Amino acid sequence: MIQLPSNDFPVTLAFPPQGHWTQPHLALPCLKAWLHASGYSDVDQMDLSVEAFDHFLTAESLTRAAEKVERRLPLERFQGDRLPLGQMRAWRAAAESAASAQSLIDRVESAKAILRGQDHPVDSERGFWDPDRYVPAVRTLYHGLRLISSAHYPSELTPHNFTMAYSNDSSEEVLAATLDEEQNPFIEFYREQVMPRLLARKPKLLGLSVLYGSQLIPALTLARMVKAALPDCHITMGGGFLAYIGDKVMAAPGMAECFDSIVFHEGERPLLMLCEALRTGEPLHDVGSLAWWDRSNPEEPVVVKNMSAHPIKLDDAPAPDLEGLPLDKYFSPQVVIPYDVNRGCYYGECTFCTLPTVIGPGYRTRSSETIARHVVELRDRYSSTHFNFITDCMPPGMIKDLPEQLIEAEAGITWWADARIEPKAYDADGARRLYESGCRKLLFGFESATKRILKMMMKGQSLKSVVEVARNCTEANISVTFYAMVGFPTETREEARATLEFIEQHADIIREVSLQTFHIDEVAKTYKEPEQFGIRVLDAPGDLALYHDYEADVGMTQEEAAEMFEEMMASFRRNLAIFSGDNIFYFMQKSHYFLHLAAGETPQGFSERCAERTAARAERQAEPELTVSRGLVSIPLGFSHSDAVRTLGDPLARAARPDFLTGRYVRDADRVAEEKLPPLDPKERFLLYDPENGEFVELRDGGSRVLSALRECGTLGALVEAQRDAGASDAAIQKLEQFAAELHRLGVLRAAATPTSAPKALATARG
Amino acid sequence: MNQNKDQRDDLENDEVSAKDNETSAAAGGEALDLEGLDLTVETVEERISPSETNVFDK
Repeated sequence: MIQLPSNDFPVTLAFPPQGHWTQPHLALPCLKAWLHASGYSDVDQMDLSVEAFDHFLTAESLTRAAEKVERRLPLERFQGDRLPLGQMRAWRAAAESAASAQSLIDRVESAKAILRGQDHPVDSERGFWDPDRYVPAVRTLYHGLRLISSAHYPSELTPHNFTMAYSNDSSEEVLAATLDEEQNPFIEFYREQVMPRLLARKPKLLGLSVLYGSQLIPALTLARMVKAALPDCHITMGGGFLAYIGDKVMAAPGMAECFDSIVFHEGERPLLMLCEALRTGEPLHDVGSLAWWDRSNPEEPVVVKNMSAHPIKLDDAPAPDLEGLPLDKYFSPQVVIPYDVNRGCYYGECTFCTLPTVIGPGYRTRSSETIARHVVELRDRYSSTHFNFITDCMPPGMIKDLPEQLIEAEAGITWWADARIEPKAYDADGARRLYESGCRKLLFGFESATKRILKMMMKGQSLKSVVEVARNCTEANISVTFYAMVGFPTETREEARATLEFIEQHADIIREVSLQTFHIDEVAKTYKEPEQFGIRVLDAPGDLALYHDYEADVGMTQEEAAEMFEEMMASFRRNLAIFSGDNIFYFMQKSHYFLHLAAGETPQGFSERCAERTAARAERQAEPELTVSRGLVSIPLGFSHSDAVRTLGDPLARAARPDFLTGRYVRDADRVAEEKLPPLDPKERFLLYDPENGEFVELRDGGSRVLSALRECGTLGALVEAQRDAGASDAAIQKLEQFAAELHRLGVLRAAATPTSAPKALATARG
Repeated sequence: MNQNKDQRDDLENDEVSAKDNETSAAAGGEALDLEGLDLTVETVEERISPSETNVFDK
């Protein structure tokens, strides 16, 4: 143990936008706990990602955004005889903003309250458990972020990603993005919401956790601002994404103006060493795993990369410390506590996986006894019984031991985790014990149903064992999610379709699929030994490039793999209950489906109710009492909104802008997409936004006229009667009723006396 | 934002006023040319992108 320093060394750890919004991330709580246990008591942590979501999703921010959209993207600007791809995204943003902004402003606070379970004092009455309130609330928040994005067009902030027109591949573009007030939404957010707190606190050390590519520009934006305002504050960055490109970032011109150092791999020991060196004024040469600028000559900072620090003994590490995180701001009704049971992967053979690179070499684990003790501590400290065990996979021994320890400790928790197919561990008895210990959901790396591909991946699993494990878990009421991959080198369309078919044939035991397209980064085995996989890796322009395109003589091209992703997702939407219709929001919001399971719902029960809900909606008819949905907004448009959305969803159009997650940004893709995706011709259309549902619907002039007439008449029955009285034929009335039934299915027409979907089935498990 | 709301109201009003005659007629019992009107309803199921399906990293 080091000499306890005094409290005059304030440290601030921050998680910059964008990360997911439903539960805290693990990195900062681990670092804070380690520093605290080592004597640094004045460590503050800020989840600026969830704070930013909370800030943007307010009536005030949305009002400002709507005003900005009107200034920057007035709809009138898009009058012409065609709408080319290059203007389509902006036009869509302008149209949706005009139709939905006021409704979003009116409803955003109640939507947040529903997702956070703050809308009713009685748990079972909360909108989170009622799909008819939950889904519109989620949609409202998604559309709210679209409005914020439109205000910073062409940037896009979603709950899942943040992208700008600037590419992460080039330091010049990244640094330019940090200064672009028009397009970078975080400059104003930091200036107004974050900098005053940092200026008051004056940390000696600011640590930024950059796990994802989507955080790079936001992190550097903040770093630059802090460096300018607090030049004596040492700014260090670390995290998974920088484990990949940290060396390139350090080598890039201009970066030294933004921050001081990067910690590679696991952060606990290096960060503590850095605190010690800074506090005592020692040089930084002995701080393990640190790359830093030696500023002896301020005009020419020199990059120094130190030796690696020894990994910590994980079992000695304290439990994560969530103190200071805004636990009431996450978009979930109950906190799901992240907890690291182990680090690294005990298997470590999969040829596509580079995750061990992120945390550093070696596999380390906490003992089952330690885990159970920490879980009970965390449960009591944060009054939550829900856990997300963070692990690449648990080894067979732990799968057996951990449930026993949790049961013996009377932890009384529910939990979910990633897992590897281990048939001996996940036998029928093992699965039952896991359920008894609180396990409600496991996510297995399945990847492919083709033996040849599995062999190339070195997955070390058979399809027989995959089915066996999934069935044992299902029978124990543990929900099973499969990770699947499309586009592994040499994979053919037929092989990808075999994976699709396999999953859908086993839809009774596979509830969710996390489907990913394969991509190559610079630490992957596929990058280092491309000939083993029958591919040629192409050069990637840009001094920060991480992902590479490749060519293969056999199998799908990358473009074909992107198309196959679409085909597979479309099929899952049709054939997996949780992916059907708007139920997919349960899958897309991390931990929300899990919370239903934790509340007593079974995977089978939840799936059935999702299917019932989708079926109930499809069966809605033209009932006489139907009225126009309250607050429905209609605006005239000069082009078709649905044509624009379809075009922009094309993989070609997607590849035309940087995607920090997949790296499928192709520099001349915009030119190719412009050539292959035709511009839209003018069409007279009406865009409806239904705030009750949070959905956009498009009508032609005729439909808009009928809707206006229905509004005048009050009910469908009155309109039908008026039309019959005016001499309408049976065929005309039938056409009217078909139109009304369709609008009923979409929620534009509503029957006040009848529920808008299946009974509150998903709420029943709450009791 | 008021500007935006005004614009939206204006658009709605324009729409209503353009159709006033026909709407009133319908409410008053005169027939809409239902058989001649294009009553197509269009929605687009937003495609789910790879960045939204990655529950592992995100």
